[in-house]
Amino acid sequence: MTSRALEQFLSGVEKRAFKIAQLGLRNDDDALDAVQDSMMKLVQSYASRSSDEWRPLFYRILANCIRDMQRRRTVRGRIMAWLPMRDAENEEDFDPIAAAPSMEPTPARRLELDEAMGVLETAVAELPQRQQQAFLLRNLEGLDVSETASAMGCSEGSVKTHYFRALATLRARLGEVF
Amino acid sequence: MSDPSDFEKRTQQVLEESAARLDGRTLSRLTQARHKALDQLQRPARHWWRSYVPAGAAAATAVLAVVMWSGRPNVEGAVTQNAVEDMELLADTDAPDFVDEGEDLEFYEWAAGEVES
Repeated sequence: MTSRALEQFLSGVEKRAFKIAQLGLRNDDDALDAVQDSMMKLVQSYASRSSDEWRPLFYRILANCIRDMQRRRTVRGRIMAWLPMRDAENEEDFDPIAAAPSMEPTPARRLELDEAMGVLETAVAELPQRQQQAFLLRNLEGLDVSETASAMGCSEGSVKTHYFRALATLRARLGEVF
Repeated sequence: MSDPSDFEKRTQQVLEESAARLDGRTLSRLTQARHKALDQLQRPARHWWRSYVPAGAAAATAVLAVVMWSGRPNVEGAVTQNAVEDMELLADTDAPDFVDEGEDLEFYEWAAGEVES
């Protein structure tokens, strides 16, 4: 019973979780690793908890994985700075158009969506970490303020502040497109 | 000038569309990750000796029955030793739950440490 419920839960969140990790890490492989690690940890340590707790717990674990990867990347970057120049791909900016998903609707609609996705994803990826977390958990994942606070490990007031600031930044930047 | 709720709806729509349109390679990797995570629920017990518990419990029961009903003093020494070992294995079944709670305590200690700035 737990196994089936867990499978339903994980299959329901995996795409959005990947999206959140992708925007935080700006790398598809790292994002996949983060999602996999988070799934493993949730099942390992919290499978026996009430299913109501899984969502905030999972996103808390995911946020920690993303943060840990970002830190490792920072350390690695500092080490690499002392080595001969190489690996241009480490310096590459996130390309939202290249990362934009494939196929579907009418060509005109697709173009419109691709453009919107591209500019939105770039803007969200450049938000400060906490604002990005609050925005994606509330807006994409649909967590309420309380669940978001649990996932982020902060107060509900902080969630509202981070979310409000993220919205303000995005509106200022995307007002013309959206 | 669109109001905040319209803007939020629009951004939500775009992000959901983006999440829904992941490529095949990514979807496949996510499915594999999910299965790998769920496989942990099917695995044998983490602690190697847990696999001996059912056999140990049956053995302990049979041994105790033999001791009580046959009343053979010269068997008792060896039987008692095996019974003690089996009972230790049975008693150790509490350990994993304790370990799980320990992991939960670590999570909450960490969560308590993450104070909003």
